Amino acid sequence: MDNTIILKKINFSFRKIIPWIIPIVIILFWQLIVSVGWVSATILPSPWDVLKDGAELTVSGELPKNMGISLYRATVGFVIGGSIGFVLGFINGLSKIARLAFDSTVQMLRNIPHLALIPLVILLMGIGEPAKIFLVAIGCMFPIYINTYHGIISVDQKIIEMGHAYGLKQSAMIRKIVFPAALPTILMGFRYALGVMWTTLIVAETISSSSGIGYMATNAEQFMDMKTIILCILIYALLGKLSDYIAKNFEIIFLEWRG
Amino acid sequence: MTHTLRKTLLFILLFFWILITVYGWFQIREESNPTLKTVTIGFQAGDEFDIAKSRGKFATKMEKKGYKVKFKEFQNGAAMMQALATGNIDYARVGDTPPVSALAAGTKLTYVAAGGTKEKGSGIVVKKNSGINSMADLKGKRVAYTKGTSSQYMVLRALKTAGLGINDIKWVNLDQDAAAVAYSKNKVDAWANWDPTVAQVEITENSKLLVNGQQAGAVNRSFIVSPSKFAKNHQSLSKLVIKYGEQDMHWANTHHKQVIKLMTKELKLSKKVVTLEIERRTFGIYKMNDKYVKEEQEIADMFYQSGVLNKQATVAKHVDYLK
Amino acid sequence: MKKEILITIRGVNKSYVKHIVLREIDLDVYRHEFLAFVGKSGGGKSTLLRLIAGLEQPNAGKIKQGGHLINKINDQARMMFQEDRLLPWMSVQDNVTFASKKPDDQKEAKKLLSLVGLTEYANAFPTKLSGGQKQRLALARALFSHPDLLLLDEPLGALDALTRRNMQDLIMKICQQRKITTILVTHDINEAVRMANRIALIKDQLIKEIFDNPYRGIDTNEAKEKRALISDEILNKILN
Repeated sequence: MDNTIILKKINFSFRKIIPWIIPIVIILFWQLIVSVGWVSATILPSPWDVLKDGAELTVSGELPKNMGISLYRATVGFVIGGSIGFVLGFINGLSKIARLAFDSTVQMLRNIPHLALIPLVILLMGIGEPAKIFLVAIGCMFPIYINTYHGIISVDQKIIEMGHAYGLKQSAMIRKIVFPAALPTILMGFRYALGVMWTTLIVAETISSSSGIGYMATNAEQFMDMKTIILCILIYALLGKLSDYIAKNFEIIFLEWRG
Repeated sequence: MTHTLRKTLLFILLFFWILITVYGWFQIREESNPTLKTVTIGFQAGDEFDIAKSRGKFATKMEKKGYKVKFKEFQNGAAMMQALATGNIDYARVGDTPPVSALAAGTKLTYVAAGGTKEKGSGIVVKKNSGINSMADLKGKRVAYTKGTSSQYMVLRALKTAGLGINDIKWVNLDQDAAAVAYSKNKVDAWANWDPTVAQVEITENSKLLVNGQQAGAVNRSFIVSPSKFAKNHQSLSKLVIKYGEQDMHWANTHHKQVIKLMTKELKLSKKVVTLEIERRTFGIYKMNDKYVKEEQEIADMFYQSGVLNKQATVAKHVDYLK
Repeated sequence: MKKEILITIRGVNKSYVKHIVLREIDLDVYRHEFLAFVGKSGGGKSTLLRLIAGLEQPNAGKIKQGGHLINKINDQARMMFQEDRLLPWMSVQDNVTFASKKPDDQKEAKKLLSLVGLTEYANAFPTKLSGGQKQRLALARALFSHPDLLLLDEPLGALDALTRRNMQDLIMKICQQRKITTILVTHDINEAVRMANRIALIKDQLIKEIFDNPYRGIDTNEAKEKRALISDEILNKILN
């Protein structure tokens, strides 16, 4: 019996390791081909060089500063766009009149690629912070809008009828039935919007900025500084993974009832 | 993982997220002084204004005259011209071709000053072991350039100077980073470019300048341009920019060691590359004159004739000759 | 025993676009009785129940409960549906009290959970429950506000035979103890005859016949045989 417990434990920790195997193998292989000299270090610097570059930029304060600024732009854009998308999605989900008035317009705007908006955004808002935050907000608004809207209109009508039969009034109906029922879909939109937040930010930070991770990358690109380019890509990957992790945990905590 | 543990972890992560966000906000918030008039200057990494910005004296002097200088960095001239057209920057330090293209596109801009040239640090680079030793050897070879930039003008001029025709080479239009890879992988035989990339390539890719801007007749001068309306109303400010800018340029020409140090840090290039660049470059900021206008007009003419631009710009109509 | 009338239904017609479901329905429901509606599926028995619940309104005719016209949700009645219709995001106990505004109703909820045998699940989510347990929770929820009338819309249809029988006994016991008037809609005639003391056969959009069933809840062999006879009679009437 002790043996089975030990086996289970091994099995458990092994499962935790599996997702990391491929990335680690890739990094080791990458280090190897550069160290051996199969690929020139100017074209592809080794992971170790990238790490050193990261350490240097951290000590000089450049990396923390740019990361902070990027995170600020991303967060403010996300909060603004997300709130608007949520409120709009909620209202359109609940009210048929609002749906008729707004939904087709929103659906039309949704299909415009963010990149196409850049000239317009520059004309309207200039090249300062508002323009960047605006782009991120636009990017984050739609996934949250769509998911909130769909989450609400696809709440099981049978459960709503049950609520009516048991005498729930409008506000209690929203609080106790509509919102919790739509929450899984809303959180899916939240998770997706976090991804869009980073991709839009990269675009936004190339508009003319002198700060942010996107700037660091484009600036390095101009001077073929591969180390910093790869560092920036890795930072994006990490930030993306981190936001996804946060979103996933929100789902686990708020949707505990799904079992 | 237990629920409490998960919640705690999430709380800590969000706490740090917000902490870093607030830190970023403080970084970005400018201590704007309302009594000062803001002057926004667009620049590109490693150029005249980058030196003025890094040295710091320019902004201090301007502040004493009642102007707060805001430097905005751009990745390329085209982006800067776009910002200029929409009135988002007051002065733009660009290369020789972007203002010509912008004029042809109808942008209302005015040349207020000229800078130094990169005639010894721009041109067509080839690998030392490529067997290409003269412009004539370039016949039939693949030459990388970026459409609408100085590199295209340089190739056109170099061909003309060498008595070759436009179709004697294979033109390969690539943007900067694609060209870097193509060149390093020998997918192209030559690459028209300018410092610091040329210096970088000479050192890391075992390359040489087949022909430089001086030999080709394309000097690759920089210019300072403004929105026309702004230039008309701010002539005294433009004079200040030239005066203080020139003081920094004089300093740069006489203090190579410090400039190399500043730029090595700013451009994140090796000291060797920056040294090569700085040693062969003369910095300056001058009032406009007929010679500079003629240089620009030649670009406008050649771009029009070879079909790069579909409208001919008359540069002389858009110049502010400050007294 | 004098029979007190709880619900009067007079001249009720109900039709959807081009499609008549019920016509000329007249019916009295007595207080504390257990009435069952049987008939073919799609024959209008569920619709009649929903009209009594106030979930739908008749096209003509009147339904009154205790003298009051039912023209909106009938808040003296509670309904159990074929599906459990539980709120999966609330704990078992919160599912019982969810429609209540008073926070001190937890005691009553605990009492009901112990009545249906779910005390140990009070703080769990409904996903942890089996099908039978879910319907027991739905029953507790329906009983929570002490309704005069319990409406059962085939709530046991999806359960296995044994669980179903246990649920039948539990519902009968509770309705008797609490003196709740109950109307059951079922397609299972044996279930109707086992549980109800009156059985209304709905056929051709009409109430065709009402059977009295004095043998309900008696476990003698004779009573069982009599019930079987009533079942056969009802079945024959449905098929002819």
